[in-house]
Amino acid sequence: MRSRTALIVAASVLAVVVLSVALAPWISPYPPAQQSLAERLAPASPTHWLGTDHLGRDTLSRLLEGGSFSLAVACAATLLTAALGTAIGVVSARRRGWIDEVLTRTSDVLLALPEMVIALFVVAVLGAGPVSLLLALAVTGWTPFARLARALAYDVSSRGFVEAARVLGCSPSFVVFRHILPHLSGPLLGQAALRFGQFLIAVGALSYLGLGVQPPQSDWGSMLASAQPYAARSPLGVLAPGLVIFTVALCVTLIGQHLAALAGLRTLLSLAPSRRGSDV
Amino acid sequence: MRGFLARRTAALGVTVLLASFVVFLIPYVTPGDPVRKIIRSQVQGELVDESAVQGLTAELGLDDPLPVQYVRWLSHFVSGDMGLSYTSRTPVIEHVMPALWITLSLTVVTLAVAAIAATALGTLAALREGRLTDRVITALTQALIAMPEYWLAPVLVLVFALNLSVLPSAGWSGPSSMVLPVAVLAIRPLSHFTSAVREGMLDALGGEHVLAARARGLSHSQTVFRHVIPNGLLPLTTLTGVWFAGLLGGSVIVEVIFAIPGMGRLLYDAVLNSDIPLAQGGVVFVVVLAVVLTTAGDLLHAVLNPKMRNSHA
Repeated sequence: MRSRTALIVAASVLAVVVLSVALAPWISPYPPAQQSLAERLAPASPTHWLGTDHLGRDTLSRLLEGGSFSLAVACAATLLTAALGTAIGVVSARRRGWIDEVLTRTSDVLLALPEMVIALFVVAVLGAGPVSLLLALAVTGWTPFARLARALAYDVSSRGFVEAARVLGCSPSFVVFRHILPHLSGPLLGQAALRFGQFLIAVGALSYLGLGVQPPQSDWGSMLASAQPYAARSPLGVLAPGLVIFTVALCVTLIGQHLAALAGLRTLLSLAPSRRGSDV
Repeated sequence: MRGFLARRTAALGVTVLLASFVVFLIPYVTPGDPVRKIIRSQVQGELVDESAVQGLTAELGLDDPLPVQYVRWLSHFVSGDMGLSYTSRTPVIEHVMPALWITLSLTVVTLAVAAIAATALGTLAALREGRLTDRVITALTQALIAMPEYWLAPVLVLVFALNLSVLPSAGWSGPSSMVLPVAVLAIRPLSHFTSAVREGMLDALGGEHVLAARARGLSHSQTVFRHVIPNGLLPLTTLTGVWFAGLLGGSVIVEVIFAIPGMGRLLYDAVLNSDIPLAQGGVVFVVVLAVVLTTAGDLLHAVLNPKMRNSHA
């Protein structure tokens, strides 16, 4: 029951954040780029709920506007890597043999490489921007999905109903779409939620370093970076964007862990809560 | 065991070769002609003499086939000649080695702190399974995984350096300058390690050998120290290898925030300045170390856990 309450709270908070970011043009108290040099680094007040930045821009309005970039890139990265990883994992498990060997080794190699170094490398080759940001996250990001999809597809493929479908003359693609993928959807959804949280943090990290979003656009990571020199005078400018990233990442992680636990993935997802009792 | 060792070593060699080839290709796939970049980095003027371009292309052997160039680059690289940094005009190796030592020491201290704290917290949580202590520890470790380092770091600086003035806010001088970076870096491994140790301990606690030990008359604490903790800590060996690899590159953010002249900072500066030789040298070093350390972690796990040796993991 306790975890159910936490799940409802997490889902509600997430819904509120996503909705307010989506409705930003209509609910923003100020235009996000509007400067008012007389009110620089103002503290929280009834006129500016979260204060203003070093150019006198309203922090709340900028948070609402910046959220669309952070959330959109994290969402796109999750969808891209989930699709790619699932396809690779299922092909590995169905084909086996040398294809499986090559794909599994490739994902092992990518898993061993430091993610941030790869991202820096991609940005160095392609230049900063949303597309290279997405690619930087995708190069290594598909591997957890591929591992999970391969393990599950291996497992499902040995079950009776898959064998029966094959004997009855169903085509391999029919078997995959009708019998295998539906069995993978639950665990993969949990994995996707967990990965979304990690991608959101990574997008913020790259933007913080100036390698993600490019000015004049801004996102939560770049807001944090630009507020940092003024942290002593106006701590809220640093606290607010980080707290939003933390909150959203925490909510999706909780949801992901819940979905993973529902799918019985205690061992595959290291942070899923344990379900003991049945085997003792 | 020998087959396992051979398989892992072969995989290691292939990985390193593949990675080095990709790194070798950087200047060929980045926009712009590498020869012009080199000339432009030497003469400050805007105009580049065409005959100089052709001369340098031949001199550097850039008109040879790509495989020939790769083998030449690799043999230079292995003998320690990684070229000159574009920005400082000094050998890359002189930048990489000191940076590597700083990052390595930071990583070792961080992992030691995380492993010790995780052993204590994970064991405690497992022994108190389902009770308040367990629930608090589990909730905290799950929340920490969502903590962005680039947020925790400024907040800690704000509190401990600016408001309390007990620790330096940035720089690399003496043990006190390590406290905040290590605290920030340790958060994520701590979170992973704690849940792994908790799971490991729970599995060990439910094992038949524990029941047998209790039946033989060992006390609860004797059983825990002799039979539960050694088994429960097994997952930490592999995890430490993986995290060692991860932290070598993952410290980019922390090194930039705290102005620590380590590998992360070096790679970041190299990318910002399009200093290709420096980036190549740094990336190859990090990748080789990452792969070697991950393999070492797996081998250590295989030595400690006989079940692993025959698996194809």
